[in-house]
Amino acid sequence: MSKSYRTIILARMGEIALKGLNRGKFERQLIDNLRWRLKEYGAFSIVQSQSRIWIEPKDTNPDILEDKETANQVLRAVTQVFGLVSASLVWKFDGDMDSIKEHALMLTDDILSEHDYKTFKVESKRGDKRFPLASPEICADVGEAILIAHPELSVDVHEPDFIIYVEVRENRFVYSEKLEGHRGLPVGTAGKGMLLLSGGIDSPVAGYMMASRGMQLEAIYFHSYPYTSERALEKVKDLAKIVSQYSGTILLHVCNFTDIQLDLYKNSPQDMLTITMRRVMFEIAEELANKQGCKCLITGESLGQVASQTIEAIQITNEVVKTMPVFRPLIGVDKEETCNISRRIGAFETSILPYEDCCTVFVAKHPKTHPQKKHIIEAEEKLDIPALVKQGVEGITTYKIERTSK
Amino acid sequence: MSIYLDNSATTKPLPEVARLVYETLSGDETFGNPGSLHRLGVLAEKDLNDSLDKISKLLSCKKEELYFTSCGSESVNTSILGYMHQNPRAGKKVISTRTEHKASLESLEKLAKEGYEICYIPVKSDGKPDLDALSDAIDENTALLTFTHVNNETGSILPLQEIIEIRNKKNRNTKIHLDCVQSLGKLPISLSRMGIDMASFSGHKIHALKGFGLLYIKSGVRVAPLILGGGQQRGMRSGTQSPYLASAFALALEKALEDIDGNLLRMTGLRDRFSADLIDLGAQILSPADALPYVLNVSFPSFQSETMLHCLEEKEIFVSTVSACSSKTKKVSYVLTEMGIRREIASNAVRFSFSRFNTKEELDQTVKSIKEIYERYKV
Repeated sequence: MSKSYRTIILARMGEIALKGLNRGKFERQLIDNLRWRLKEYGAFSIVQSQSRIWIEPKDTNPDILEDKETANQVLRAVTQVFGLVSASLVWKFDGDMDSIKEHALMLTDDILSEHDYKTFKVESKRGDKRFPLASPEICADVGEAILIAHPELSVDVHEPDFIIYVEVRENRFVYSEKLEGHRGLPVGTAGKGMLLLSGGIDSPVAGYMMASRGMQLEAIYFHSYPYTSERALEKVKDLAKIVSQYSGTILLHVCNFTDIQLDLYKNSPQDMLTITMRRVMFEIAEELANKQGCKCLITGESLGQVASQTIEAIQITNEVVKTMPVFRPLIGVDKEETCNISRRIGAFETSILPYEDCCTVFVAKHPKTHPQKKHIIEAEEKLDIPALVKQGVEGITTYKIERTSK
Repeated sequence: MSIYLDNSATTKPLPEVARLVYETLSGDETFGNPGSLHRLGVLAEKDLNDSLDKISKLLSCKKEELYFTSCGSESVNTSILGYMHQNPRAGKKVISTRTEHKASLESLEKLAKEGYEICYIPVKSDGKPDLDALSDAIDENTALLTFTHVNNETGSILPLQEIIEIRNKKNRNTKIHLDCVQSLGKLPISLSRMGIDMASFSGHKIHALKGFGLLYIKSGVRVAPLILGGGQQRGMRSGTQSPYLASAFALALEKALEDIDGNLLRMTGLRDRFSADLIDLGAQILSPADALPYVLNVSFPSFQSETMLHCLEEKEIFVSTVSACSSKTKKVSYVLTEMGIRREIASNAVRFSFSRFNTKEELDQTVKSIKEIYERYKV
């Protein structure tokens, strides 16, 4: 039995709608990103109309959204594309008021089979002014039909358990639930940044946040095998993959840091080790960023979280980066909130996997929390920093991480 | 060529075993269900019986006393839980130590939750249970003793004879379960003469295959089954038996026992030499001096366990650690801490575990590699 309707997706744009003359650029990027994100599900016609985007399967895969599970997967994928406030699965059909009522009833049955709802309301929009009934009349008619079929329901216009939306345009549409989007701006509209990615909770969230402002990402990870295990590297790849669901493909640069770390350990004072290490990391990241056309560094630092994240320590590490800003989107964010974002983007469970690292051997028991310029001059006296940076940049292996990569 | 020194975790199947499995599984008439009435079933059943015959002879017990399971853990679980559940009048107390394998400890925890009394007697610095404490602990209410024959982390050998004597003196009705997963094929095991009532074994630790365990229950000892179903193996362990896993086990066991004394002697020599070399490098041996020579637990100063593991891995040498590295909580082997070894030392512990196929050259190469690791990575 073929259905009397086709399922399509309606997505709503957020901030982009407020843009001025360059709005078109943002919209085109958003549509490109949607097309790229949905590639694995087949071809879709993606049409923008005012602040909304209609996503309809093409004839090569007309039934892709008719399977509920797949439809929900595609819907989720749509909401992961930055620039959208929400998206809904929508039934598209033709016909008169009877047809509208019939579909609204089917949708209600569908909703009630999964939820124990008691109250509802109907909202409608009439874009096709040739349609004989006005919006309030459509609402009343559909509401009445639902009440007759489901006498156990009642109407509540203020706080209904569910809403049936009816739209009359060239075609007719009914839908109910809206899945919230991740908002922000389309990736690709704000240049490219180099994320310092570790295996922890913060840096993937920092990357996600910058991507939500339209930034494309590359990432660098400092690998100290055998002090950190191969599993720690696998974990970082997994985290990059999770972030790439939102940000698109990430080039992950893995810097072989073992010898550099040993050199630092042997030739600089214990209590400054974290700082000297981070300064070298920043310099390597900056050089790589310039090479790759990235215009900023991104870290997951949060003020006061650990010894290296005091204002003095941040200043001392920050000053080595001369050619670009260092963005720290989490600088004023509470750890709990960071964890919440991490959970929401699906990274938390991976971030807390136990093979963090065995680098603890390189962590001083009492690191300097308020380092001064003279301390760092002293600490780096015996180090050949340019040589270490060169060694770091040369010892990089790059992986292309996509959300579908194995 | 890589050097595999993690034989307590698992072993490489013998080439003979691999061949036998391939031939059995690719044959047109050798894949049957031993429960089927047709010829294929009869062939499979005969195959299974042949393996049982062979294994029971090699372990000196009756074939009616043996059951095939899926792994060592299943055998241990069945023994501990099954015996206690089946014999409520034997008493409510079980005696063990805290250095057992998790398969035992988790079973005991389950019993504790059900209201049984679990008495953990301390172990001494050599990893052996304190026999005075054992003697004090055994009473009228003690239904079961469960111990590991050879500890998987340190190679410490259980003083079985003394334990049997204490049991006989204190309460003859107390049964003994012995976890022989690590000792099989390395120490002589003669079930009918050892004075034990139940024993557990595993296939993949003796160069047979994963997915196969063996359970010994002495005639007359009643144990409730863990797995219910079609009533195979006299109702003790339902589920279709696997003739090829059983014959792989029988073959591997036969090979392991061929020169068990010679192997033990040779391995003792290799181990002694190896540990002397490691001590020269500044390492501390954590295994007791009289441990089974197939296991050597070593602590390397200034190398956390996992770092040393990865350093060795980089040189294609595979070992094991139970102390996982994490910057926040450091998990240290409970076996070592129970023996009174300090946390700082235990957190640097690495386990080398050998098979009879390891050579002097391999151990010399390992020592050489550790020297190189010290030079390059010591901080």
